[in-house]
Amino acid sequence: MEGIVSQSIVMDATDEKGLKELGITDFDTAIVSMGETIEDSIMITLSLKEMGLRKVIVKAKSELHSKILRKVGADRIIFPEREMAERLAESIASPKIFDFIELSKTYGIIEMVVPKRLVNKTLSELKMREKFRVSVIAIKRKLPFTLPDGSTDFKEEIIVGPGGDDEVISGDVLIMLGKNENLEKIEKL
Amino acid sequence: MNQEFDDLLELGNFYILSQEFGEAIKVLKMAEKIDRMNPELYNNLGMAYEGLSEKDKARDSFRLVLKLNPNHKSAQEHLTRLIEE
Repeated sequence: MEGIVSQSIVMDATDEKGLKELGITDFDTAIVSMGETIEDSIMITLSLKEMGLRKVIVKAKSELHSKILRKVGADRIIFPEREMAERLAESIASPKIFDFIELSKTYGIIEMVVPKRLVNKTLSELKMREKFRVSVIAIKRKLPFTLPDGSTDFKEEIIVGPGGDDEVISGDVLIMLGKNENLEKIEKL
Repeated sequence: MNQEFDDLLELGNFYILSQEFGEAIKVLKMAEKIDRMNPELYNNLGMAYEGLSEKDKARDSFRLVLKLNPNHKSAQEHLTRLIEE
């Protein structure tokens, strides 16, 4: 954990007394990510909320688990495996889509290879907002270069917040934000 | 070595470095008609597909390189990167 967090402690999180001694209530947020035993994650969540921790985020394994976590006071419940599976399914369904993040039921962010129809045009020529009601928030591009041994490799460039003059070229990956229904229209181009 | 094949391979590489990946694929496909056993050809083809973000085709090309030359370092690295992406 060194290098990721400023402080790390190994302890039994089900030990309520130990958590108190640790001064857990001084922390703003706790993330309960242990998913091996449902019972432990419920007990830890309950303890943390009873101790007065403001925000507790918990990983759930099933709908029933989530329901109980909500009852014991979890502030946010996440389903990492399910969310990853959904994103993976999305990318398998269309090889042009590398990622999809659902921001809400209505809005999302999509990472997809630029459709051929949109290639070699600037963003102002493409009029993405007017035509498709989506915003291009970044462009990922592979830049070829020659290695000392003469072979070729790529480095990835990310243009964050591209301007109207930025041109979209073949192979670019566009990261777009918009309503899911509008993002779907671009997928079909 | 066949001069025409070498010229096409070089032209393909030029197109890759110019980010004209579609053009690179066209000339490399022409080179393929001359020699189907050259790992560099398929490595460059893999690079061109990778540049176009056509990951499936890029992976197939790099796998072909490794069939022809299991020790091809560049193909190994690119394939690993594409699989882990």
